Amino acid sequence: MLNRVKELSEIERKVLLVLSDELISFENCSKLSLLPIDSVRRASAWLSEKDFAIMKESTEEKFVLTDLGNKALLEGLPESIFLSALSKLGGRASFSDLQKASKLSSQEFTAALGINKRKAFIVIVNGVIEETGVANDQPNSCENILQNVVDGKEIEDGLLLDLQKRGLVEKKLVTSRLIKISKNGGVAQKILSTSDIERTFDVSAPVPEIFAGKKTPYVQFLQQIRHKLVALGFEEVSAPLVVTEFYNFDVLFQPQNHPARTWTDSYQLLKPRVGSLPNKKIVSAIKSAHENGGVSKSKGWGYEWSESIASRAVPAMHGTAHSARQLVKGVKSPHKYFAIARCFRPDVLDATHLIEFNQMEGFVVGDDLNFKHLLGMLKDFAIEFAGAEKVKFFPDYYPFTEPSVQLSAKHPEMGWIEFAGAGMFRPEMLENLGIKGQAIAWGVGIDRLAMFKLGIKDIRYLFSEDIGYLRKASGVFLK
Amino acid sequence: MVMPKIDVSIKDLESLSGIKLSSREKIEELLEFVKGEVDVIDGDNLKIDCKDPNRPDFWSVEGVARELKAKTGKQKGIVKYKVQKSNIVLNVDKNLEKIRPLIVCAVIKDIKITENLLNQMIQLQEKLGESFGRKRKELAIGIYDLDIMKPPIFYKGFKDNEIEFIPLEWKVPMRPSEILIQHDKGKAYKHLLEGTKLYPIVLDSNNVVASMPPIINSQITGKVTSQTKNLFIEVTGQNFSTIETALEVMCMALADRGGKIYSCTVNYPSNKKPYPAKKIITPLFSTEKIVFSKKELLAKTGLELKDKEIIELLAKARFVPKISKDKIIAEYSSYRIDILHAVDVIEDLLISYGFNNIVPQKIEMNLVGSQSEEARYIDFVREGAIGLGLQEVQTYNLTSKEIQQKQMLLDEKEEFVEIANYVSLNYQIFRKKMTPQLLSFLSKNKSQEYPQRIFEIGTVLELDKSKDSGVNQRNVLCVAITHSNTNFTEIKSVLVQIAKYLGKEVSVTKQKFVFLGENSGEINLGGKKGFIGEVKEDVLKEFGLKKPVTIFEIEL
Repeated sequence: MLNRVKELSEIERKVLLVLSDELISFENCSKLSLLPIDSVRRASAWLSEKDFAIMKESTEEKFVLTDLGNKALLEGLPESIFLSALSKLGGRASFSDLQKASKLSSQEFTAALGINKRKAFIVIVNGVIEETGVANDQPNSCENILQNVVDGKEIEDGLLLDLQKRGLVEKKLVTSRLIKISKNGGVAQKILSTSDIERTFDVSAPVPEIFAGKKTPYVQFLQQIRHKLVALGFEEVSAPLVVTEFYNFDVLFQPQNHPARTWTDSYQLLKPRVGSLPNKKIVSAIKSAHENGGVSKSKGWGYEWSESIASRAVPAMHGTAHSARQLVKGVKSPHKYFAIARCFRPDVLDATHLIEFNQMEGFVVGDDLNFKHLLGMLKDFAIEFAGAEKVKFFPDYYPFTEPSVQLSAKHPEMGWIEFAGAGMFRPEMLENLGIKGQAIAWGVGIDRLAMFKLGIKDIRYLFSEDIGYLRKASGVFLK
Repeated sequence: MVMPKIDVSIKDLESLSGIKLSSREKIEELLEFVKGEVDVIDGDNLKIDCKDPNRPDFWSVEGVARELKAKTGKQKGIVKYKVQKSNIVLNVDKNLEKIRPLIVCAVIKDIKITENLLNQMIQLQEKLGESFGRKRKELAIGIYDLDIMKPPIFYKGFKDNEIEFIPLEWKVPMRPSEILIQHDKGKAYKHLLEGTKLYPIVLDSNNVVASMPPIINSQITGKVTSQTKNLFIEVTGQNFSTIETALEVMCMALADRGGKIYSCTVNYPSNKKPYPAKKIITPLFSTEKIVFSKKELLAKTGLELKDKEIIELLAKARFVPKISKDKIIAEYSSYRIDILHAVDVIEDLLISYGFNNIVPQKIEMNLVGSQSEEARYIDFVREGAIGLGLQEVQTYNLTSKEIQQKQMLLDEKEEFVEIANYVSLNYQIFRKKMTPQLLSFLSKNKSQEYPQRIFEIGTVLELDKSKDSGVNQRNVLCVAITHSNTNFTEIKSVLVQIAKYLGKEVSVTKQKFVFLGENSGEINLGGKKGFIGEVKEDVLKEFGLKKPVTIFEIEL
């Protein structure tokens, strides 16, 4: 028993010392022990768990404060604010001066004036408000009564009715918890009260929660993905949210009548409708790539390419738009580029779809790159990012790459996942933009991996609006 | 983009290809040859995701079987379809030149219409029109019972008051304009004939209407049943190669089922654009040749291949290849509209080889990677905010005018980067300020423990003609604090600490903002502007917030 008493915390001791065989409320206990009510609540729970106390619930109809009542208790009722403002002004003031000084709204001011007049706390003489001094002799100010309601003291029915009418209190079924000492508790109390026992902490006991400043788990995940790409030798390029279709589609050799470019498959902007195209030389190179293959040995798509379609501004639909911007700006060779891009597609937000999401995309430029390098790079990604045990390649289609590949990775816990898409940029693009050598383009679907790492089933948690989730979420660490 | 998904019977695929499909793994492996993916297997029904939009010949069980036979070495090179001549003539009128000028056609005789055939034929017709034909804009296919038509056939435009016929699944004759308003197919595709005074009509010598492309067939000739023996097929559109490809794809599928292909003569009004010739006999089943260097192939693939192997791999992809010294000459069917460049042939060779039979190779480049300065700076600011005990949040860039404008008590004339075809009013515009998004965030967390101290670093957009995208994008830091006693001093303390952390001078000058109360001001943080203050009571009410909120938002 002595050891058990030693382990009692400061608040448990204080509560235990005031308990008796009579059931008392937490509020009373708080007053007797001089502890805040939250501490009483916590200590009581612990004491009852340790079999030093017995808790009971009782439900009764009680008067409690409304929101308005709570506010009044904290800040004072308008009539009290009125009176104290008056007394600060020397006990006499004009209507306008007093209203200004009291900072009451005109509605509150009028109500306060009426009440104080009725109670004869003030009189109005020649349009000037004067205090009577009656108020000083009244111990039962409304605030006192409100405090009494909180404390559960007996109050005259008439007074209560008045407060109820003013919307300061309401009748509610209140479940209150009561506590008394147990048999073991009695023994412990005796030990505590007879000798000074130093506390030893129960190191396994729970402690109060604290909230720290934290990154969101998703941001933390993306940061580490960035670091991994940097370690693999990639340079980050910027990824603006709005681009012209020129970069989103045309540079990427996607014909202007391509179904992906229609109203239902992509967002169109009302404002702004258009942006501007880069210099004429580049625009005409892309135009001829589409129409007849340009300087490449391609046939091209054989249609009349329109500048006005290419100038339309759109929310970026895929990360490759930013690779297109880089290709137009000019590239170093050999070099590796990447972007973590926010992308937008017309979808309905639900547990598996986001209306905006992040794509990790990039490309590698070099003289002697070939298809085997493409597969090698994808495999490295699968191991680096998904800890893949096995990988499998599938033929795929992208308008801007040929050959094109999809990689599935066998994740140790998730099983087979579609992990990445890649391909070699088409000669129509590279040759017409004057880029020598080969370029391997790749994109990795990171949101599914993020969901796995974050341990969430609903994709909406990547942009969680629940501060409770964000506060409790564990940090993210990628091996 | 929605790529076609096709349903096939596994048994049907087995019998057409002669390949046993014993397991899901086996099916998955074989579908790689047609860039297909298993969507669902349900008993005998296999749903395939077709991933290549430029290979419509793979969009039927017959087409899949045809390619599998080649890739597994059972049948190589180009399939030689026997095309016999019919004496059927189709005359094209000049009055459709500006509306839907082109048509090609063919006849399939002695066909036994089974359930599998009928299902596949309708599915292929549908997928060709929807996906390859861009929702029938670029091509629409009509299939008819030849035996109730009287050639020659005519393709001609009629005014609304000149013609009426009973459309498919209808009982009474209708005028073209009525079909566009009342019939389901009319409603679905009426935009394709918008503003036209002449309606394209296919009809026979007895003036019996066969169809109104690209909308609907007639009930009389346009209904194919198990009793039908001979078919007339026409494809209309704008581009000759597109419609000819579709016609050949249809004919091949039916011929693979035992139908006999007969050609027809199409008489166009002239040999000038948009017409391919004055007179043309379709289907053409022509072939083309592409020439490229072996060096290019070997460099692109990274494989060491002997000539014999190259020939074998290309033949399995249905090319007829020849190699002379460094030159590869590959002959292929003209319906292979996906072949624009040698790389398209090279990919086919790699698919024949099998991607998973290739040993991946590491890229050896001695490069130093780097994050963008922008990303690094954002992370630097983030560290500072976290050190002050603030919880980071991430809200969407897309939001509503309700949040950005109305609840902030801002002028309705204010302009945003705005989406035309938004899916929901909640995501109609890009945020221009971060503050409303954080207030919205707080409004969703009223039942959570206070105090709440949050921040977000992110992008805000505004219209700007001087930028090449028409949009100015900036990064901002926004901090919001809410609890019963928060006030201007508390939020300013945070701002001052952030400024110190960033090593910048900060000053606040008194200024009013519509959404901020009396205690508010403009921030100057080392030349960057922002605002700080206690959020106005009316704004809190709009967001349903009960406790006071203090906030600052500053450009980075």
